[in-house]
Amino acid sequence: MKPTSALCVGALCSLTIVAVNGQSAAPSVLPDWSGAWTLEGPTVFDAATVQPKNGRAGDAGVREFPPYTDEYEALYKKNIEGIKQGTFPDPVSTCGTPHGFPRLMNLPDVYEFAITSEKTLIIGENGPNIARIYTDGRKHPAKEDLWPTYSGASVGHWEGDTLVFTTISTKGWSGKDVIVDRTGLILSDASRVTTRMRKIDPMTLEAQMVIEDAKALKATWRVTKRYRKQAAGTWAWDYACAENNRNPVAPSGKTLTLGPDGKPIDKKVD
Amino acid sequence: MKSIWIVALLCTAAAVLAVPTLSAHHSGAMFDREKVVEMKGTVKELQWSNPHIWIQVVAQENGATKEWSLEGGSPNTLSRQGWRATTFKPGDEVTFRFNPMKDGTAAGAFIGAKFSDGKTIGRWD
Repeated sequence: MKPTSALCVGALCSLTIVAVNGQSAAPSVLPDWSGAWTLEGPTVFDAATVQPKNGRAGDAGVREFPPYTDEYEALYKKNIEGIKQGTFPDPVSTCGTPHGFPRLMNLPDVYEFAITSEKTLIIGENGPNIARIYTDGRKHPAKEDLWPTYSGASVGHWEGDTLVFTTISTKGWSGKDVIVDRTGLILSDASRVTTRMRKIDPMTLEAQMVIEDAKALKATWRVTKRYRKQAAGTWAWDYACAENNRNPVAPSGKTLTLGPDGKPIDKKVD
Repeated sequence: MKSIWIVALLCTAAAVLAVPTLSAHHSGAMFDREKVVEMKGTVKELQWSNPHIWIQVVAQENGATKEWSLEGGSPNTLSRQGWRATTFKPGDEVTFRFNPMKDGTAAGAFIGAKFSDGKTIGRWD
């Protein structure tokens, strides 16, 4: 057999779904989400409800309108006020922790997707951010075997060309470490996000998220994100946030600016 | 008036919206997004590093030399927009536009730059 033929056969084999535990409903050939992709629009998580319209996450007074419980509405308002005062840091400013799910679906820079029959990896260049979505038929671990993590635990399956996965066991808002976007948007550690992701045209991936959260939400919250395919051959690179982080966070919550000598150059450091 | 300031524009709301926000890993609360400053200076160093690039610029202010720190995006994003680690070289004479720090610190968020040969990078219109 010619080498090229062997490669083609190997590729076909790798694209063929093998039923695991008799549960696979996957297509015979996995979808092609190759290349590099970027989030459409700015990093406001729920652009459908943001006020003011086209407001940018992190600008004072910008907010979205998830169906929050009174408790979480109050927490969100407190975060929004902190942003106005300049004392609400982005938790990822510390460099080293992931953004968390579902913020992982709301990142700047590029995304890459690695699809196998066993799992799909969503790799955010702006990281460290990797979502591991197991599609081999496994269930979520038992409650006693789980602990809250930034990206949570995701299992899913294929419905034709659509990846359907559910993410649980995320850290949620504890007062400091995980937000959904820089407006101060938050969820709790009880969130359960079901995502349906598919290519709606050759250049566009769409993720429809249905968010439930018994602590934070009084109703289901639906958010759709889209991702645009970048030019062929686009590279993704290391995003080593700690390499030269000149914006540490002071105990007050104020984000500082360091000079080239590593010392704060802010006129007031509190 | 400080000699380094060629133009200090207090922008209208519409103009502010036209200025791209730095895609940062941190709060941008320290920058005055409603103000755009134009400053001519000499590049001392380009720190081509994550999470953000930094351009160290030396400018004259009231007859004295002052060093400024201008923060840009990540090398990852900027490289896809045509930037390279050699885009700014030590000694380059460049006019910069940036959102200054609210507290008057010698730093800001990069918007655009114009080189002595007229070439521009970033937003310059």
